[in-house]
Order: sequence, then structure tokens, then C-alpha cells
Amino acid sequence: MTTTRTLRSGFAASAERHADREALTVGDETLTYRELDVRARRVAATLDRHAPDGEGRLTAVFGHRHPTAFAGVLGALTRGHGYVPLNPAFPTERCRSMMTRARCRSVVVDPTAIDQLDELLEGVDEPRVVLAPDADDVSELAARHPSHRFLGAGDLAPADACEPRQADPDDLAYVLFTSGSTGRPKGVMVAHRNVVPFVDFMVERYGITEADRLSNTFDLTFDLSVFDMFCAWEKGACLCVPTAQQKMFPGKYVKKQALTVWFSVPSTGVLMSRLKMLKPGSYPTLRWALFCGEALPVEIVEKFAEAAPNATVENLYGPTELTIACTLYRWDPARSPGEAEMGVTPIGAPYPDMEVRICDEALHEVPRGEAGELLMTGPQMTPGYWEDPEKTAKAFVVPPGEGRTFYRTGDRVRWPEGGPMIYLGRVDNQIKIQGYRVELGEIEAVLRDVSGAEAAIALGWPKTASGADGVVGFVGAPDADADAVLEAARAKLPGYMQPSAVHLVERFPLNPNGKIDRKALMARLEEG
Amino acid sequence: MGRRRDDAAVDSEASRMNEQEIRGALREWILEHAKSPPKGGDLTDQTPLLETGLLSSLDIVEFVLFIEELREEEIDTDEIEPEVFTSVDTLWDGFFADRP
Repeated sequence: MTTTRTLRSGFAASAERHADREALTVGDETLTYRELDVRARRVAATLDRHAPDGEGRLTAVFGHRHPTAFAGVLGALTRGHGYVPLNPAFPTERCRSMMTRARCRSVVVDPTAIDQLDELLEGVDEPRVVLAPDADDVSELAARHPSHRFLGAGDLAPADACEPRQADPDDLAYVLFTSGSTGRPKGVMVAHRNVVPFVDFMVERYGITEADRLSNTFDLTFDLSVFDMFCAWEKGACLCVPTAQQKMFPGKYVKKQALTVWFSVPSTGVLMSRLKMLKPGSYPTLRWALFCGEALPVEIVEKFAEAAPNATVENLYGPTELTIACTLYRWDPARSPGEAEMGVTPIGAPYPDMEVRICDEALHEVPRGEAGELLMTGPQMTPGYWEDPEKTAKAFVVPPGEGRTFYRTGDRVRWPEGGPMIYLGRVDNQIKIQGYRVELGEIEAVLRDVSGAEAAIALGWPKTASGADGVVGFVGAPDADADAVLEAARAKLPGYMQPSAVHLVERFPLNPNGKIDRKALMARLEEG
Repeated sequence: MGRRRDDAAVDSEASRMNEQEIRGALREWILEHAKSPPKGGDLTDQTPLLETGLLSSLDIVEFVLFIEELREEEIDTDEIEPEVFTSVDTLWDGFFADRP
């Protein structure tokens, strides 16, 4: 092989080898590899033809659960560009900020997002090329935004005009903006050399073949969607994308599409459990049930494993900065309940080429088995944050005595000898209460246990300069007896860890990625 | 926060609700839980509920429980098509119209 593989290579190979197999099904529309490839090539050829002078190497994709959004992702990669997903379900202002900060001069827009174009381009002076492959008439848009160029269906170049540009391993495959702990989103740059080893390892581990049908529960702005797309396309499998409506009833979708690989956040498993969708034997087609993105409750794994009797359940862990996932744990019905702690599934062991250090606050390694912050390095470690050397230097560090850079995950873990790594929560979730070091996750586990709720959150409150004076609990059991929960929790916790109050919550606020939004809960306390 | 499901519309003591009452109760529940006002202002029986993001996946769990209370019968989520949750009209057709 003379060429280097990139994120697109697998799709390109499948487009030849499996041209007539299904590559993508979204809503009522199904595209073969040939059809999806043609759409991607037309996007690439059209943008290349009209590329503005001085364009960088990033193309924005403004879309959501529509074939054009996926053709946009592939089109960007076909140009040798990285893609920057903009989610029309997010506030448009946030999308605009991502587009301008990444200096994307070309934007592919799908029909779900086109109504938000006026807002997206508001105050954007630098000329943009906006390609709406599904729009028959873009003249009105052009009239309203004379400084930008609009291209519609009639402007699409033929697929054979496309000359794919080979990207280098160090070129960016995508840039994802993640919400930083302080305001402004950080753009995580992921290079081909980071993501190719990830896809290779996953495809091999799960034995993906052209017969597989993979779920796509994650929006393009969530990096777990990269697993869905590129592990499917690497081997000629089909990516099955539920519409927003279908996503509300995941069980139905698994059955309808005869999915073989399921991948979601644990919260989706909780939703399925609450909607009574995890009846034993419900999903015999599933070979794999994968979870990632937040702590995975043992109860949900056990229910899911029963509902999908032919599936192996794995818990994946990883921040975007280490490329999607970098540790994993295989659930074993006999062994795992004993290995789980506080009702949460372990995160297991690092991927083969990734290395782990578990460190104290001064970044010195802690003795084996003790808790500390997880640092990792290896081929999946990304180059840092887009145009933000300060934040990059803070998170990508060379620990004392090490010759290499490691990424600080901000997650607390413990890795006992002979056992799997245990996730203990965010470093930030470990707070000092009246001087005691307290792991909020431990309080949350007790609250779940005594209330029977599937989700509970503990926050340090009221806050003090050094931490907090006490703890307040939020329990996702609207019909529970708050006093009884409080009483039972107090009986199990030392004084300084006992909640002063328990709030019953009908629905937890979620962040855009579907995880429980702790900051929103804190804001409720601050508002009184 | 911590609101109990004490919606006034549901009262097991009262006699069974008629069509207009049920449609009204559904609209009221949706408006109460909507994250943003419906596009175009008013919530009609044809307003799309999910695709426009009026209701989220979180709401669905509570909404299904609410519908179960309204029709005084459990829902088998394996049996329902997501399309039933398109609008108040489709909810009526899917869950209530053919009640015995």
C-alpha cells in the first residue's frame, strides 16, 4: 500500500466492494453505498469548484438525521477536509460561533436546517459558500445575503467531476466543539492518525461485517457518532438512523431495523427501562449492546442483557480528546456484579495501544489500586484544542518524570490489581465538605439505592471557598417520599456526607448530548 | 421541580372523560411540559409534537404514564408506532378513539 489510510478509506473501499448494499437508512429513505458515494462526490466536486480563495481545510455540515448531512460529512472528507458538524437542534447562535471560529468557508446544509440559515449567517461578513443539495431554488437566500454564495440542486457538479483529495495522517478528520466547564466551547481537533486506529480496533473487536446493522442514536455533534458511521462503513454494513420521533421509541426501532449493534448513552437504556421496553428476549437480533458517555448503572446492564439475549454488553469510556473511547469493559453476568462498585459498571482496561497513568493532584502516579485522576496517552490522543494553546497546555501535560505528553481526563478512577478500572466520577465531583474529601458519586449511589430511582445527583451546597458546607440530593422519583429517602440515606452515610435535603425530580435537565446537566441543577439551587 | 403527577384533569372519581376533555387534557399537559412555545404560537391538535422538539425523550416517559392514566389502561410500548405521537389528533386516534 502506498497510500495512507484516512477516516474515509473504509467507506471508499466499501463503495467499490459493496456498491449495491445498503449504506444508510434514515426515516423512509435508504441509500446504497453507490448512491451515498455519488451524493458525497457531488458535494465534494461542487464545493471544490466554487471554493472561496483562502479557504482552510475544514467544511461545516449543518444538518440533522438526513441523508444530506451524512453525504456532507463524506463530501468534506472526500475533499481532503475535516468536517465540523453544526447541529440545528442547538441554538443557532452556538452553531454560528462554531462555524466562524473554525473559519469554515464552505457549509453543506440539509433540509432540516435550511430554515435556520438566515440566523446562522446573521452578522457573518466573510463570504461563505453554502451548498443546499436538496434546494431547488436558492435565489431568495442569495437575494437576502448578497455577500454569500448559495448553491442548490441545480448547481451540483456530476459525481465523476470529483477528484478525491488524499489527506495526510496529521490532517484533521473532524473538529468537535465540546462544552467547556467555563462558558466558551472548546474545539477538539481529531486527526486521521487518531481516529483510524480507533476504527480499526473497534471493527476488529466487534467483528463487523457487511451483514451488520448499526444504530445511530448519537447526533453528529457527539463524537460517538463517528463510531456508528465509520465502523459501519468500514465493512459495508448499514448505518440505521432513527428520526427524532423514532428515537423516542428505541425498542421499536431495534426490532423494525433488525439491528445487530446497539450503541447509546446509558440514559437511553434508562428510558427504555422506564417505558417497559426491556422485556426479556425482546431483541434477539442484537449481537452487541454498547454504552458510553456517562456512568452505566448495573441495573440497566442487567435488564438490557436480558432483553437482548444474544448480545454481549460492553461499557466504553473516553473523552473526545482521546478519540471517542479508549477503555472498555465486557459485562460478564457471573463475574461483573462483584466487580461493579456503587452500582456502576467498571470502565475496564485501556485499548491495546493506549497507556494509563493514575495520578494525584501533583501528577505523580498513585500506588496501584488507589484513586486518582486518569491520564492517558497513545495514538488516539488528539493534538489539542482549536486555536487555544492555553487550554491545550492545561489539559495536555508532561507529568513529572515522564518524557511524553498525557491528556488529563479530569475523571477520577481506581484500578485495583487484577481487576477492572473503576470510574469514580469527575475530579470536580470530588469536593471538600467541612474539610472532608467527599465523592459525590458515593452519595448518589446511596440515594439511588434507598429510593429505587435510576438516577440521582448530589451537589455540594451551600458552596464555600474551599468546597461546600453540605450536600443536597436530587432523586429521579417524583412519587417517592422525600423524607423517607432522606432518612434512609442518612442511616447509610457518615454525618458530613448526609444530604440536608432531597428534591424529588420528575425529569432531570439534560445537556445537548443527553447527559444529566449538573450545572442546571446547581443553578436551581442558586436561584433558591 | 419535584412536581407530582396531580394533574387536575385526571380524577379517577369522575366519570370517564369525553373526547373534548381528553384532547384538552393532552394539550394542557404538552403546553405545561414544552421546552419552548410551539412554532407559530398556538398548540393545535395538528401541531407536530416531537419533530419540532416541543417534547423531548425525557417527556415521553411521563407522557406515556399520563396517557395511561387518561385511558385507565396500561400501554404496551412494544405495540405502539412512534407515529402515534405525531400530534394530538394521532394520539386520540391511536389511544382513545377505539376505547370500548
